[in-house]
Amino acid sequence: MIGFILRRLAQLLPVLLVASTGIWAMIYAVPGTPIGTIVGENATPEQVRAAIERLGLDQPMAVQYWSWLRNALVGDFGLSIQNREPVLDLIVQRIPATIQLGVSATIVGLLLGVPVAVISALKPGSWLDRWLSGWSALALGVPTFWLGILLILLFAVHLRWLPSASAYVSIWESPWQALRNVLLPAVTLGVYVSGIFARFLRASLLGELRADYVRTARSKGLSERDVIGRHVMRNALLPFVTIVGLMMATFIGGTVVTEAVLPTPGWGGC
Amino acid sequence: MSPLLRRSAEVLRRLARRKGALLGLLFMGVLILTTSLARWILPFDALTQDFSAILQGPNRVHWFGTDELGRDILARVVVGARTSLITAGGAVAIAAIIGVPIGLVAGFFGGWRDTLLMRFVDVLLSLPGILFAMALIAVLGRSQIAALIAVGITGIPSFARITRAQVLSLRKRDFVTAVEALGGSASYNMFRTVLPNSWSPILVQVVILSSVAILIEASLAFLGVGIPPPTPSWGEMLRTGKTFLYDSPTYAILPGLVLTLTILSLDAIGRGLAGVLADRHEDVAEGNTAAAGSRS
Repeated sequence: MIGFILRRLAQLLPVLLVASTGIWAMIYAVPGTPIGTIVGENATPEQVRAAIERLGLDQPMAVQYWSWLRNALVGDFGLSIQNREPVLDLIVQRIPATIQLGVSATIVGLLLGVPVAVISALKPGSWLDRWLSGWSALALGVPTFWLGILLILLFAVHLRWLPSASAYVSIWESPWQALRNVLLPAVTLGVYVSGIFARFLRASLLGELRADYVRTARSKGLSERDVIGRHVMRNALLPFVTIVGLMMATFIGGTVVTEAVLPTPGWGGC
Repeated sequence: MSPLLRRSAEVLRRLARRKGALLGLLFMGVLILTTSLARWILPFDALTQDFSAILQGPNRVHWFGTDELGRDILARVVVGARTSLITAGGAVAIAAIIGVPIGLVAGFFGGWRDTLLMRFVDVLLSLPGILFAMALIAVLGRSQIAALIAVGITGIPSFARITRAQVLSLRKRDFVTAVEALGGSASYNMFRTVLPNSWSPILVQVVILSSVAILIEASLAFLGVGIPPPTPSWGEMLRTGKTFLYDSPTYAILPGLVLTLTILSLDAIGRGLAGVLADRHEDVAEGNTAAAGSRS
């Protein structure tokens, strides 16, 4: 098992190298530079030239790529254009808040998505199934930033129960405050991801319900509860866990839009 | 009537029999009609400012209220629809023009071409869509073309994958082998035999991806990197409206509502279309909800 994991991790290295090179090359190939953003709109040509020289943008492509790669390998991602802090420091500072938001959003998504999937898979084609499928479509279609605005209006402006923007509070230090702070962004993201979870788990459950072992279990006289709970659910959860993991990875990778509506000190707000 | 026209009419008739798709078609019809006739039917211009009437709630004169410069929000929502639809249309066109041939070649030839092209698609797919679009816009500068290209590139993988899946299912069919045996060239076979039989899932994808494209365009505008003002765009309106939540809550609610209804309508039409086309021949059920792109 450990050998397998190590082998997979070793395969990751070339993939990371190729992907990062690809992204670098794509940004490099696009005409234009972010130099205007860095020096400001009213910069003189001398200032622009100085900035280009300072950033090494006049060097040949191979030199630029090598210095970028070398710096990235030792964890030097340069300074943030916005607040002149090293990017790595910003990333490290914000890890706890990002993880806290990602995990809570996934929990909300599971709480909303799993029951919807199970109920609609048990009675496929019924009116209940149709309504619940409608819910999934709604959850996927409503833009997260609009949902965030609606939730702020209701819970922060109207009812005044929850803050609309929040600082990071560790769940281990003051659980109640942390929960209050993370609830709105977590629900905003969680509703969206519950739509993905519900659609995926429903399809997975329906696939399993058609399998032969289900007929065997039923003909053995097992109660429907045991058939679903002990057999179908376990098999259907296998592919589902992958999706949950992938979504969690997406959240950790950045929740830019949500953090723009509901300011939280995670990676998306950098 | 030409056969193509007759077939389209038939598909449209069956689509209208599905409740969700019918509502979606009606909403999109009204939206497209009002936005193209905006100049003649709207009493207010989207850009005219009126400082004697700022941040009004919905009233008899301004149905959706006014914004912080006294501009009519309804007019801006209607004109903003044009921005959204044009950006989405262009983005989907870019995605299809690049993605479909990639999937076609990868699925038809297999082997190293398949590996090479699909790894490229995988890399594109692994980019967080919005972050990539933001990086691209940072370099290109804010403009409608930049937004269109950025959203279009994020849509390439889904077209490539769906086309490839469809081509793979057709590749070993007798009629494709027959063309091969008769000495038809690979490009003839790809474009004249396989592609015409792959339109259904691609068409479904066009509709579903336009809803995704509208959403990403609005997200970019909401983040402040979309089409620059004063061009009205829904995301930009939500962005400004959010700062006036206490003074004028409807400012952010109403444009968001129209945006949401547009996305839901296109999604309903897409899923209805997938159902109708799957009824016609069951091997095109692919790609139904494959476009749940990353958009957190």
